[in-house]
Amino acid sequence: MKTITNKLGLMLAGVALALAAAAADAQVIKAARVKGSGPIMEPKATFWDAANETKVVMLPQTVTTPTNPNAAINEIKVKAVHNGQWIAVLLEWKDPTKSDRVVTDEFGDQVAVEFPINIGGDLPSPMMGNKGGRVNILQWRAPFQRDMERGEPTVGTLYPYALNDVYPDQVLRATDARPYMGALGLDNPVSRPNLSPVLDQMAEGWGSMTVKPDQHADGWGVWENGAWKVVITVPMATESANSPRFAPGAKTVAAFAVWEGENREVGARKAWSGWTPLELAE
Amino acid sequence: MAKVYNWQIGREMEYPYEDVRPKRQFAMVMDTNKCIACQTCTVACKTTWTGGRGQEYMFWNNVETKPYGFYPLGWDVNILSRLGVQELAGPVYKGKTIFEAAPEGERVLGYLPADLDYAHPNIGEDDSVGNMTQGAFLQPPHLNWMYYLPRICNHCSYPACLASCPRQAIYKRPEDGIVLIDQTRCRGYRECVRGCPYKKTFFNAMTRVSEKCIGCYPAVENNRQTQCTITCIGKIRLQGFLSTPDKAREDSPLDYIVHVAKLARPLYPQLGLEPNVYYIPPVHVPPQYLTQMFGHGVEKVVQTYRKASEDKKLLGALLLFGAAPDIIHHYKVQGNWTIGYEEKGNEIVRVPLREPIHVRVVYDTKHETYRSNAT
Repeated sequence: MKTITNKLGLMLAGVALALAAAAADAQVIKAARVKGSGPIMEPKATFWDAANETKVVMLPQTVTTPTNPNAAINEIKVKAVHNGQWIAVLLEWKDPTKSDRVVTDEFGDQVAVEFPINIGGDLPSPMMGNKGGRVNILQWRAPFQRDMERGEPTVGTLYPYALNDVYPDQVLRATDARPYMGALGLDNPVSRPNLSPVLDQMAEGWGSMTVKPDQHADGWGVWENGAWKVVITVPMATESANSPRFAPGAKTVAAFAVWEGENREVGARKAWSGWTPLELAE
Repeated sequence: MAKVYNWQIGREMEYPYEDVRPKRQFAMVMDTNKCIACQTCTVACKTTWTGGRGQEYMFWNNVETKPYGFYPLGWDVNILSRLGVQELAGPVYKGKTIFEAAPEGERVLGYLPADLDYAHPNIGEDDSVGNMTQGAFLQPPHLNWMYYLPRICNHCSYPACLASCPRQAIYKRPEDGIVLIDQTRCRGYRECVRGCPYKKTFFNAMTRVSEKCIGCYPAVENNRQTQCTITCIGKIRLQGFLSTPDKAREDSPLDYIVHVAKLARPLYPQLGLEPNVYYIPPVHVPPQYLTQMFGHGVEKVVQTYRKASEDKKLLGALLLFGAAPDIIHHYKVQGNWTIGYEEKGNEIVRVPLREPIHVRVVYDTKHETYRSNAT
């Protein structure tokens, strides 16, 4: 059962080379130094006005199946800052519909920034890395933020007219009710957010995305006038072997992905970018 | 795409992964002629597995009235119309499977049902469409027909849910061929919900990942048949393991029914998934419809069913339906008895081929009353 992975692996290597070459002449994201010490969470902070803006071209994902040839978003604006302890990127894109409800046929808006874990090493594939080329992917999800703002959805809030007599967790002890809770009972990290709308993840190729047991990233989004402004922030250094270690003055790269929930974009059905150089101010 | 052999369509076909058969394959036979849509199976499944939050709408087992009943709404006509008209004649299927008909950039031909498509299972499907005129009577063959179709996950040999998942969160167990979604790896992309033509994977809006029928694997691991099987009051189901046709064993009741007597057929074999739930087709339904639903050669299956009592081995296998909760691995017919055995050869159950008949006198002199049931 490995035909798909083998074929795609070959395609991936070719694409990675082409994109690395393209990245050389692309604009550079410059992360200016700002005052402060903790996580950089505010999408409307005044220091963003002074930050360099880089327009990143977003391409429909058409390399691996399932593809998304009609991706809704073709550009995001990227800014970055750091305060010596935390680095943050501000991502802004036009999205006329705010999608943060998730049921069978409704999908949430999402955006992600990706960094190579090994800064200064061989560049991994910008498309979720490759074997031996691990990447750190920080993904912000609109439905997670909605959970934090308005409380986690219940059947009653999603389906106001739903009628149910009794649930296992109302009549059984918590441990006995756990098997009836599916992925929630197994602490699947996408089932419920922890304390942040951002998932701190790693990958080394398609299908390998894994939410890290140690979560460091945070962020917040604001949807106004038909556009999202989302900040994703992460400590510049952690003890995790699967986090990049940023230092003031460092040069690395970043890549992006964005999902328009209204267009039923999810997983591989997304728009993505190649590597864009990222330079941190001293 | 790899080339794999699908015996149900009599040819090789394209599939995203190589052909790896499990050690043995979970399978079920259902006799649609005996189903009365009492939904005991549905309730048994529901109370066992899907009582939790977010599972309210989920029926891993459901029974729908054909031809106009669906769960979710229009599931089969939707995929059939997307696949288009295909050539069904002959033992070798010449049309396209949903893997071969996949659009550019997709792994399978599929569609995502609307949330509302699941909202009203069985609503209206048994309603009368009009009154009979005075003096009207039914004379077979008649135009008015319907039947009940009980459905679970088919635990396919070539599952489309598994093929659709971009992160291999769905797997087919090597020990029994049961298809499961890894609840820790699934990220709720709903690719499997799009991909499965039988629409037997479901999205749970509370856990935000997908779920499906688990073939009652904790029961199966303990040699017990599934909940939907052992609770069936009409005894329409038999669950066990099925061999491939080249390795069919005459002493296995499932192998005998499916491969030797060729009495049970898969559901929509033309889709190419090699589903492992087999149906004894309803004998009163027009053959064109049955051919579309159960594939080539259905007329012969109907004839076999009508004469099932003449084949003692077949009758013996059919009488094991609902006879014991344990999985019957072997059976034999001895005199007036069919005897079912567990895997190691110990007897589980013994059923008479013909029940003894006692005739009572119509008038009960002791109680000075007439008996309404004399046999």
